Amino acid sequence: MDKKSREDGGEMMLILKPKFDFEVSVEAEITPDLAEKSLDEIKEFKVWYGKEVKKLKDLFEIKKEGDEKKIILDGDFSKVKWIGCGMTEGEIIVKGSVGTNCGAYMKGGRIIIEGDADDLLGMEMMDGEIIVKGNAKNLIGCPYYGDATGMQGGKIVIEGNAGNYIGEKMSGGVIEIKGNAGDFIGIEMKGGEIIIGGNCGFVGADMKGGVIKVKGKCDILPSFKRTEEGYVGDVNVGGEGKIIKI
Amino acid sequence: MHHMLWIKNGIVIDPKNKIDGEKMDIFVKNGKIVEESEVKKDECKVIDASNKLVVAGGVEMHAHIAGSKINTGRTMRPEEMRVVRQTANKLRATVGRVLLTSPAIGYEYARMGYTTAVEAANPPIGSLHTHEELDAIPILDKAALPVFGNWHPVLKFVAEKDFEKLKAFIVWALERTKGFGVKVVNPGGIEAWMYGKNCRNLDDEVPGFGITPRDIITSLIRANEELDLPHSVHLHCNNLGNPGNYQTTVESIKLAAGFKNDKRQVLHVTHVQFNAYGGSSWRDVCSGVEDIAKTVNSMDNVTIDMGAAIFGHATAMTGDAPFQFVLHRLLGAKWSNKDSEIEGGAGIVPIMYLPKNPVHALQWAIGLELGLMVDSDKVVLTTDYPNGGPFTEYPYVMAMLMSKKMREKELEKVHQYVQKATNLPAIDTERTLYEVIHMTRSLPARILGLENKGHLGIGADADIAIYNINPNEIDPSTQYEVIDKEFRRAAYTIKAGDIIVENGVILKETWGRTFWIDARSKASPEIIDSDLNEFFNYYSIKRRNFGVKEEWIRNPERMGVR
Repeated sequence: MDKKSREDGGEMMLILKPKFDFEVSVEAEITPDLAEKSLDEIKEFKVWYGKEVKKLKDLFEIKKEGDEKKIILDGDFSKVKWIGCGMTEGEIIVKGSVGTNCGAYMKGGRIIIEGDADDLLGMEMMDGEIIVKGNAKNLIGCPYYGDATGMQGGKIVIEGNAGNYIGEKMSGGVIEIKGNAGDFIGIEMKGGEIIIGGNCGFVGADMKGGVIKVKGKCDILPSFKRTEEGYVGDVNVGGEGKIIKI
Repeated sequence: MHHMLWIKNGIVIDPKNKIDGEKMDIFVKNGKIVEESEVKKDECKVIDASNKLVVAGGVEMHAHIAGSKINTGRTMRPEEMRVVRQTANKLRATVGRVLLTSPAIGYEYARMGYTTAVEAANPPIGSLHTHEELDAIPILDKAALPVFGNWHPVLKFVAEKDFEKLKAFIVWALERTKGFGVKVVNPGGIEAWMYGKNCRNLDDEVPGFGITPRDIITSLIRANEELDLPHSVHLHCNNLGNPGNYQTTVESIKLAAGFKNDKRQVLHVTHVQFNAYGGSSWRDVCSGVEDIAKTVNSMDNVTIDMGAAIFGHATAMTGDAPFQFVLHRLLGAKWSNKDSEIEGGAGIVPIMYLPKNPVHALQWAIGLELGLMVDSDKVVLTTDYPNGGPFTEYPYVMAMLMSKKMREKELEKVHQYVQKATNLPAIDTERTLYEVIHMTRSLPARILGLENKGHLGIGADADIAIYNINPNEIDPSTQYEVIDKEFRRAAYTIKAGDIIVENGVILKETWGRTFWIDARSKASPEIIDSDLNEFFNYYSIKRRNFGVKEEWIRNPERMGVR
């Protein structure tokens, strides 16, 4: 947040805390824009608890303080889906773990997850930043089923390990996994960069462009040509993607 | 249901009965339009249509609304299914961006004032599926056209020049598939596709049969005319989607010369937009509409429909499997190859028409050129849903045909390539409301041979659409925005005497009929009994399992041929 808006004092920090352990998943498209609204409006914000429509105040303790366009999610949010979906600016800090579809369609701003992230992190993300201090599961920066392009810009950093399907059909941006990852890294990738700090499984199947850097061990498909720079392919689709060992 | 309606003081346009903007009352009893003397006025439900346009319900003559193709399209495009149109209330929940679910198809057509729709390509082996899906479309009256142009017995009888057997086969097939007419998709080309080839010209040989697309088309027209079926041969030409293909289209249209039918055309050429490209490659592709329009206008026995392209999402799906493979390679989009049984094929590829893409802008312009350059008595408004785009955009096309000003405004937004590659910027024609109503109602009904559809004469089905447009006051040339808006949401849609839509809101769900043609009075399938047994020896399913029984259809309506 820049200084000017701070002086205006129009924006507030918002703290949400689950009131109880959720038995079923919660769908809450919480973005930092919410922090700008009045406390009454925030309390009435529509969320789904399983198949029931609820108000934000039914499920969370709401506290508004500070002066930033910023949301702090304090507690276990591992059953809360769609956090930061389509957000354009501001910041979300999750003190615990987060549920699926976090940061989907994100266009700007930042999400920091201090615990673990679930599946479908940063799907079809356009810009902005997602930092996961723990581990992440499957499908990071991929397209939703049926769509032609995954992540197009921005940055996702996972400090721990990640699962399968990372950066499928991505065309831009950076995904960095500091630990190990599973199979299908950069499958059908078109552009952008994936960095794996540890070991991983198969990389780059049907990739047309972009770069995958792997520090540890990985499985290279026979459809990649070995060059001085690294492996180039996937020749099956006439691709010019690169797999580089770092 | 009110069994009697009195539509009062409406301003009627009814091209079949030569009524153009007359203030009159219309009376409905038991789902039919009747004389004033037949109703008891005090028992009528009265609809005040003062200053409103009253026309017959729209007739969709070529759309892909049911069957294996659209269903595969839905399966392979989950991204289309993420758009929720309405959640369940007293009506069904519906989803779909352009590829709609079955209930959505019924609701959206009805909202626009359409009441009849024909599934344009039914692979015979999938007939039961097609009819099951048609049965899931509410409100509309429906029919399906089975594909004949690559079916082995057809090719065999054409090769043997045995017209009696060919006629008997058509009669047998229409009865078994509960089909409505003879659809021909890329004749011979799909048979060739099974050998990895295509028939791009009328004189290319169909592998294994020693015949050509020319033989198939002319033989089927002859058989169709001798049987005197309600609908003519419905042709999707060879060489679809390739630059320079307009010549094939012109040659195909000329094959109708020499055939004559007093009631209707003898050949309907469909979604001509995809078959009207000049040039020799995608670099110099241009419009070939001028020659096609000249040919169609000079003949009195051929009709066409537009297959207009609408900017935005669409899904290409045709029985033309080889073309779909070409499109898949061209776009790099996902592709499904379907129905490659002995009788046809199909392919499905997602596409998005972009105004700034020169080829897409060209396709958009060609569709409109067809609607403007071909006689309004010979061209029907379609988008070949979902190939050219959603049918929900028909009001946009109607407005474009009626206003040069709107076209000029839209031309500014599209790629400049259309300026030199098409005639659209130079066309001054502005269709009248009367012509556009004809192109969407009376003309398609006449082409299909549905005598009780598309008009408001005594005895017609009480399928009526009322719009918030006063035809005597509106100037579509400048008030194109009103046309575009009001045709999207009918003030009333009445189907078989039932008020279905009021102010664009669906009030209730009813179930229409499914028409099929029984021509057994014209030819007996007995003479092809042994041929059929031989064919079914090599077919995917047994003869006794092939086809659809009438009792399996919700509301079948047999149309006999005299």
